[in-house]
Amino acid sequence: MSESNVFTLTFILYIGSALLYLAYLYSKREKLAKAGSVVALSGFLLHTLALILRTTQSGHAPFTNMYESLSFLAWATVLAYLVIEWKFKVRKPGAYLLLIVVALMSLASSPLMPKDATPLVPALQSYWLWLHVSVTLLGEAFFAIAFVTSLMYLRAESRERKGQVPKSSLTAERLDSISYRSISVGFPLFTLGGLVFGMVWAYKAWGSYWSWDPKEVWSLITWFVFALYLHTRIVMGWKGRRSAAIAIIGFLAALFTYFGVNYLLAGLHSYA
Amino acid sequence: MLKTIQRFFTSVKAAIVLLILLIAASILGTLIPQGRSSQDYLARYGQLGGVFEKLQLTRLYQSFWYIAILALFSLNIIICTLARLSAKLRRAFRPKCDIDPKSIQALKVTDKIKMTQPRTRAAELLKVELGRRHYRIREHAGEKKSCLLARKKVLGIFGSDVVHLGLLIILVGGIVSGLWGVRGSLALLENQTLPVPRADFSIRLDKFITEFYPSGSVKDWKSELTIIEGGKPVLQKSVEVNHPLSYRGFVFYQSGYGSDWENPELQVWLKKKSDPAYLRTVWLRVGQPTPVEGEDITLTAARFLPDFVLDEKNEPSTRSLELKNPAAFIRGERSGVEVFSGWIFAKFPDFSQMHQAPESELKPELKDIKAPQYSVLQTAKDPGVTVIWVGCAALMLGLFLAFYWPTREIRFVLEESQNRTDLTAGGLSAKAREAFQSEFNGIMSALRKTI
Repeated sequence: MSESNVFTLTFILYIGSALLYLAYLYSKREKLAKAGSVVALSGFLLHTLALILRTTQSGHAPFTNMYESLSFLAWATVLAYLVIEWKFKVRKPGAYLLLIVVALMSLASSPLMPKDATPLVPALQSYWLWLHVSVTLLGEAFFAIAFVTSLMYLRAESRERKGQVPKSSLTAERLDSISYRSISVGFPLFTLGGLVFGMVWAYKAWGSYWSWDPKEVWSLITWFVFALYLHTRIVMGWKGRRSAAIAIIGFLAALFTYFGVNYLLAGLHSYA
Repeated sequence: MLKTIQRFFTSVKAAIVLLILLIAASILGTLIPQGRSSQDYLARYGQLGGVFEKLQLTRLYQSFWYIAILALFSLNIIICTLARLSAKLRRAFRPKCDIDPKSIQALKVTDKIKMTQPRTRAAELLKVELGRRHYRIREHAGEKKSCLLARKKVLGIFGSDVVHLGLLIILVGGIVSGLWGVRGSLALLENQTLPVPRADFSIRLDKFITEFYPSGSVKDWKSELTIIEGGKPVLQKSVEVNHPLSYRGFVFYQSGYGSDWENPELQVWLKKKSDPAYLRTVWLRVGQPTPVEGEDITLTAARFLPDFVLDEKNEPSTRSLELKNPAAFIRGERSGVEVFSGWIFAKFPDFSQMHQAPESELKPELKDIKAPQYSVLQTAKDPGVTVIWVGCAALMLGLFLAFYWPTREIRFVLEESQNRTDLTAGGLSAKAREAFQSEFNGIMSALRKTI
């Protein structure tokens, strides 16, 4: 089976999973959510196969152009979500998370993204490519979880403030705590992959660990935003709405670092 | 007033404000292209360009005010960290053992057991259970009461301090790089030796290879280098992209390549207007008269330009260093007398304006150009790098301690009454409270089984 067939099948499974989770949101039938998880997990396994096939066919890490890296980010997001779902026994964020995954997969399969596996330019031929990109994107996947649970928090909190009793065990407070826990996984990963591994590789390839290239600056900005989140929360005791707002801004900054910088600002990171 | 300012700058609020300032300034620096020429800014922003340059917005990350924010930020980190450090050190290394059961009951997780054993026996049983769960124990035995402090992963409370230390070390590394770091670039032809700037050794390029993929795109550039010190070769290594060479603090990176258009080899075809079958091929070096086989003339390429253009004074010059419009000035001579001369163009073989002697019917064409390739190496000596890696290691260690090494602490008071013991326990954990709660419950139920 070719990589693009497996990719398409994965895409279909993710759409199916998103639909099941959405049906669960509206019908509140636990069975639908469980089916959503199973379909997401099988999609994830198939996606893993697609990434392995891509790696063996191209002979290099499966994130060297926009198509590959979008696909990898979708994979990492599903992984992060399945971990959070298993750890916290919550299935409601699944609908929104899987919609994000479907959006990433659609972008990856859009005709705008060249899908050919091109040979690696000299600058990317390094094992630091694996370490730098995979760890960073995994960190960003956890920021995506915090983004979704923070948005859900804002809605749940405004309902609870109006005096509505939360219908399930997924109260606003619990959403707030899941956001924090996701960030406490994502932040060290992002620091390690994005900043530390990035600096080491930059030093090995370009001879300087920091060049104030727009992508470097934006990953630093993202890091500052999450540092702000942690300090306001841990030291100043901020929780709830303000914390959620910072987590949302942080994810948007991460998204801009990942995506926007490539298309809007020129710099050294011209490959992806 | 001064006190208020001082108090502000030493507070966490200041850290928040400084973080927001850093975010805003950093964003600004990605919106304005950095480090361009004044003309570029004038063309881009008009009058505003000059204002931007005055405000150092065009080299923002090296500007006085950005560095000032960073300095204030570092100062704030130092003060805030130190302010909390002494209390943390006391808590970690000289903890107080509280004898008051009431203060224990104020803790997050609490429990009480009436044990049937006497106090010393109860304490022993307790220690066994705690030891099984890797707790470290401090004991303070009074006359009627004794107090037990059990803790593990105490270093976790220093996580944020280690993170801050790491950040400060990284900033110090940045300063060291800025003050003592040296960078440069060397362009070397094969077999050329050049002294390395600011070093007492030289470097020689033995071989330069460009590898291609079957599709024609570049796979890799490799330079085989020899370090020469005191006239003797001391080290030989091949350098490629992502695989630099280090020698005595200097690092050499493959950063690019180029062609030496001053010394090309030109292939020129000579044709005859009257004889379509006539063809002579000659390889020329610029400035070297070369005889043509079977003819009594010599050919000379007087000049070569890779990207021919006529400049403002209508003089031939080159627009770039790429082979976009290669042209050569060719002269043909017969026993010292010019027969023809003029510019010939590889891309436009029919376009040539030759000054020709009437009897000549030879027509030169520029067919091929070969130029020696030179390798461009970046050189860097950056004593800050080691400092940076130490800072990064501290940063990651601190993050690990802060997030994944949560300190757990349980306090016990054992009060003896009629050969029995009243045990009060209270615990707290910085993180992972559910896991801690279940561990706490495990200890207590194990003790209940002994009753």
